[in-house]
Amino acid sequence: MDPTIEINEMVDIVPIFRARAGTLHICMPWKMRYHGQEIEFTRLGMRHPTEKGKRMIHVFEMGDENSNDYRLEFDSERLTWTLVSMIGGI
Amino acid sequence: MKLNDEKPMIMFIDLNSAFATAEQQAHPSLRGKPMGVTNRISKECCVIAASYEAKALGIKVGMRLSDAKAIYPGFVILETDAPKYHQVYEKLVRIMKSYSPKTFMKSIDEGVIDFHGMEPVLNGRTLQEIGYEIKQRVKDEIGDWMRINVGIAPNIFLAKQAAGWHKPDGLDTIDAHNLRAYYAEMELTDLTGIADRNEARLNSYGIMTPLQFLDADEYTLKKRVFRSITGTYWFRRLRGYEIDDVTTKLGMIGRQWVLRNPTYDRDKLRSYLAFLCETSGVKVRYRNVEARGICVWASLQNGEFFQSKRMYKSSFFTNQEIFRRATEQFNQLPSGVIVQTLGIYCYGVEPSRRSQIGMFEDTLKLEELTKAVDEINDFYGAFTVHMGTTLEGKKVIKQKIPFGGTQYFELLLKRA
Repeated sequence: MDPTIEINEMVDIVPIFRARAGTLHICMPWKMRYHGQEIEFTRLGMRHPTEKGKRMIHVFEMGDENSNDYRLEFDSERLTWTLVSMIGGI
Repeated sequence: MKLNDEKPMIMFIDLNSAFATAEQQAHPSLRGKPMGVTNRISKECCVIAASYEAKALGIKVGMRLSDAKAIYPGFVILETDAPKYHQVYEKLVRIMKSYSPKTFMKSIDEGVIDFHGMEPVLNGRTLQEIGYEIKQRVKDEIGDWMRINVGIAPNIFLAKQAAGWHKPDGLDTIDAHNLRAYYAEMELTDLTGIADRNEARLNSYGIMTPLQFLDADEYTLKKRVFRSITGTYWFRRLRGYEIDDVTTKLGMIGRQWVLRNPTYDRDKLRSYLAFLCETSGVKVRYRNVEARGICVWASLQNGEFFQSKRMYKSSFFTNQEIFRRATEQFNQLPSGVIVQTLGIYCYGVEPSRRSQIGMFEDTLKLEELTKAVDEINDFYGAFTVHMGTTLEGKKVIKQKIPFGGTQYFELLLKRA
């Protein structure tokens, strides 16, 4: 039914900031360490802001080369990255 | 009356399977797969948006999840994600407004650009060229999976028809030159606004096709088929004359909820009712209006329908007043009946008189309290402060994506 796996864990992220890119790809997570495994993101699905109370959260929907999708949230006040959920390659 | 041979200056933009496509954009692994979106996942939930791949299999919007799974067992369904759709909506509006200030959204996924008077800034480009440019900008600025249909015509009705002519990803123009050829390809129910009942009405006067509808005279449509001014509207609309650019009057404001677990428990139902009253109250104040009438309705498990409504002499807009009056109507609900869907709506809507200072201290205090609570909830998030009765409802009721219009989208995001 719903293939989403809830995770909600803070993760280590290497982001990339591009000097010359369209607004879509100007900033995005590049690599993630999760449970000792390093995952490299190959696709940006969507980036959109949202709010949690007064905090601005940037949501990044990312994909890797194994067709897994990841929802990452960057808390711009606390400067933390959270792996919220993932969809395993369908 | 001849066909409107004016140069087509209305562009209708329709985001293909908006919510499903947005999810496929966000989740690359779901692209090209039959999937859909629902407000709240349950065994019997409804598909509120289906991807083109799902539609190709016969899975339709409004279909129950169990039926969709019967058609395609691998059907994937996700819950709605309002901030995601808002982002798409906001970017689409930004793109549209960069072409003409006369831009308005018909719903979350449909918008109109009126190019009348914009000829000097088009720099000699045709609307078709601009349409293709908008399609490309949607891919570049929103996402490479996003596709839109573009329709160009002399009025909104025909532009919408043109946008639906070759889905997905189409761009078509309907004008006086190809209008008859277009109608010849269509059936009556392909026309926006003609569903089964109107079709039957037209059929009973021998009008079986859009071309026959077009050829029917105004007198027949007005005096016989529709028996109202609606006939004249159709007569003009079909010929490409604009009659749909009017703002409709706000009639009612409300909210409904399909219970996850149908119940006869009055305490629970009262709490759900309180939640619905609070959300309706926020909408009433957001639109800067007051209401005089209230209706509480419920669909029951035994197949029956309950409704109790009353028009009051005085208007109201506070949550407490809405709940107090709604409770009076709710108490008419027979005891022991199992409620499946509970809803309320406020009607008799009129412009707010809140700027006038009342004579009675109690009323003033209530108004000030409402204002203070609204400010707190705006700042800290919806339902930070709420009625005690609402507690149970707050736990279980999820805010839905509004389909009809976009007027409550900002409100929705506050609680997303």
